[in-house]
Amino acid sequence: MILKRLTIRNFGRIHEKTFDLSPGINVLYGENESGKTTTHTFVRSMLYGITRQRGRAARNDIYSKYEPWDNPADYGGTIWFESQGKSYRLTRNFYRENQAAELLCEEDGEFLDVENGALENILGNVSEAVYDNTVSVAQLKSVTGPDLARELQNYMASYQGTADSSLDLGRAMQMLKMSRKGHQVQQEKHRKEMEKEQEKLAAKMEYLSQELDELGSRHTKVLEKEEMLQMKSGDDSAERMIDEKIRSVQNRKMGITIAAVIAIVLGTAAFWGRGSFPDGMSRLGLDICIILSAGMVVYTFFARRKLARELGRQKKLKTRWLAQQEKLKWNRETLKETAEEKKTDFFNLQNEYRDYETEMYLPTAQDTEIQALNMAMETIQMLSGNIHRQVGRRLRQRTSRILREITHGRYQEVMMDQELHITVNTPDRSIPAERLSRGTTEQVYFALRMAAGDLLCGNTPFPVILDDIFGMYDEARLTSALHWLADQNKQVIISTCSKREMEILDKEGIPYQRLVL
Amino acid sequence: MRFIHLADVHLGAVPDRGCPWSDKRGEEIWETFRRVIAGIRENPVDLLFIAGDLFHRQPLMRELKEVNYLFSTIPETRVYLMAGNHDYMKQESFYRNFTWAENVVFFPDEKLTCVKDRKLDVYIYGLSYEHQEITAPLYDNVRPVEGEGLHILLAHGGDEKHIPMNVNALAAAGFDYVALGHIHKPQVLLRDMAAYAGALEPIDCNDLGKHGYIEGRIENGRLRTAFVPFASRSYGQILLEVNEETTQISLEEDLKEEIYKRGGLNIYRVILQGFRAPELLLIPEKLKAYGNVIEVQDESRPAYDLEALRKQYSGTLIGDYISFFMEKDRNIVEEKALYYGLQALLETSR
Repeated sequence: MILKRLTIRNFGRIHEKTFDLSPGINVLYGENESGKTTTHTFVRSMLYGITRQRGRAARNDIYSKYEPWDNPADYGGTIWFESQGKSYRLTRNFYRENQAAELLCEEDGEFLDVENGALENILGNVSEAVYDNTVSVAQLKSVTGPDLARELQNYMASYQGTADSSLDLGRAMQMLKMSRKGHQVQQEKHRKEMEKEQEKLAAKMEYLSQELDELGSRHTKVLEKEEMLQMKSGDDSAERMIDEKIRSVQNRKMGITIAAVIAIVLGTAAFWGRGSFPDGMSRLGLDICIILSAGMVVYTFFARRKLARELGRQKKLKTRWLAQQEKLKWNRETLKETAEEKKTDFFNLQNEYRDYETEMYLPTAQDTEIQALNMAMETIQMLSGNIHRQVGRRLRQRTSRILREITHGRYQEVMMDQELHITVNTPDRSIPAERLSRGTTEQVYFALRMAAGDLLCGNTPFPVILDDIFGMYDEARLTSALHWLADQNKQVIISTCSKREMEILDKEGIPYQRLVL
Repeated sequence: MRFIHLADVHLGAVPDRGCPWSDKRGEEIWETFRRVIAGIRENPVDLLFIAGDLFHRQPLMRELKEVNYLFSTIPETRVYLMAGNHDYMKQESFYRNFTWAENVVFFPDEKLTCVKDRKLDVYIYGLSYEHQEITAPLYDNVRPVEGEGLHILLAHGGDEKHIPMNVNALAAAGFDYVALGHIHKPQVLLRDMAAYAGALEPIDCNDLGKHGYIEGRIENGRLRTAFVPFASRSYGQILLEVNEETTQISLEEDLKEEIYKRGGLNIYRVILQGFRAPELLLIPEKLKAYGNVIEVQDESRPAYDLEALRKQYSGTLIGDYISFFMEKDRNIVEEKALYYGLQALLETSR
């Protein structure tokens, strides 16, 4: 692509200005603050439009920065350029309320649809980011030596890994890692809470099972006691034994009673019959009989009392025995019921514990975030690796070649190690970037940017815009850089606030177009 | 004639374990059941149907006694209940030998049984789960018995593992009302003829919306039913729309207001949607402090115009990155990964 003419109607502080450009070297000369950067921004905005930036990038809000003060509704201009053998005219108005773009192919007199990718095709798919990285080369910003070296290294590392020097892969990865850490902390917290709940359940279960054990042993004890006392439910052998005893006491009591009755009857009969028997022997016999009967009555009286007491004792014994049997039975049953209740409780807790366990394996919202962050990091690494493979080696080779050419072989090779440290090789030694002079660092940077331009723009040659980059070059360096540029057969726009470039070009007889602001 | 149809009370459940409101919820489930009974005591209905899962797990003896006591306080109401899949009658279940109050009928078999109400011409059909899962379609091909009056079927289940059933066929078979349980969301399947009463109280965060019971009555010889919201709280989703002006604090304020509007007692899942400013790093977790928030799902995206960015950065890592994901049919993780990575690359750029 070659720029042929620019007409700036209203852009920043520039108003109605036209430049005709040569396809070779152009020098855009102007004092500081005269509008060189504005001109470059104009070209870029014409080619890519002014996209409203979001996020961090919004800090550099191009739209408001270059909005014309006097006439904001007429904000733009026209450029003429040539690409792939055809000439085009592109007119734009950036005014927010009335944005317009008109692209005319001058050969066919055909208007092309800017919105629908026609312009991108013509530009050979050099995207805005690629343009920023290759076409337009700004001065290194750093002032001090170590910073300069670092800036250079960052540029080179970014190019190699991302093809975009404005990216900072390390910080991007750091940001993703920090996000992941946040989610991991949350996840850990959640997991701990779940575990705590689970432990609570486990503790309850443990307690219940102890209780169950205890209930079991108490139950066994009751059973043993029942066995020992022959008080098992349904076992009435002991009861029968007591009953038998009671019956035998009752029987004996009955016997004694009968004996007493017989004695009384006999004694009474003897007493009454005594008068009917006059003879002494018979009387004596009857008297003895009466006495015996009386004795018998006395005996039975005491014997009965004893037996009655015995009977009472036995009956009490039976009641007590029965009561105890009942109590044991009740104990046993209560223990059993309590155990059944606890068993059910235990069963429920067990199920709840199990449910909880399953739930713990369900993916949480945090898992998704962590997974996504991991995927983001892996993908960035993978894609960056691809770019590195495609660009890295070729970028180093080409940078080295350009550096060799502009230093006439003084510096041979640019190297970058794993830690992204740059070293530059002379024919006889290696110099780390930090120890290079400012001028040499600028040369390495120039070589790097030129190499990147070749690689990233691919087969669509683009102009190179060098914005005040030669300030630190001594005359010899500048001369060789300009010679090199002239040899490239490329459109070059050098913007500068000094006349050195023009003087050298004049002296060396290199043709160029002078553009004055 | 008036009846109340309850289901899935889940007494004994402790929802949202680990959340601050969890224990309280466990109590509320009992409390709401008590309120239902107290309401019946005030204004007695003829019949109370409980279509399964009265208990969340195996009922304890003391729990059965509590429930039975409550039933005994509404002697004018006949209670018909059955065991569902949660409180299924396992071998040692206390359901098996429990003596219910006089006004309670428990269906004790895993076989459909018909009981005629002792006062009204109403025939009630039911069965109890003896297993956690029943895949046999036990309700298919059942017919009401001959008999003048209302025929009401208590049925629990309706999914593949819990007695699959064809409700239309049941209604066509001649049941006047099918009182369904098992599905927690209250829903009418056939107007005034078949309905899930839904869980009395929502049991977990998927039980969204209103919960309560169904009340039925005969009006002009026709059975009419209506859902009565009765739960003490509900679970809801709060969709918060973010835009490029949204900040962490503005979002927190929006949520506070929304929770205030919709009830501070209710439990919410918060879902963030929309496009936020790319430089905003949200901390969704902080939103949990503004009410009973069980989860925050962040579905918001940085407001990037992917197609424009892809064009703008074509040929560089960002362009490759966007293309890598745009060419995919993205799942949730990939969608999030796309924005995470893109945001990191853009926001850290020089």
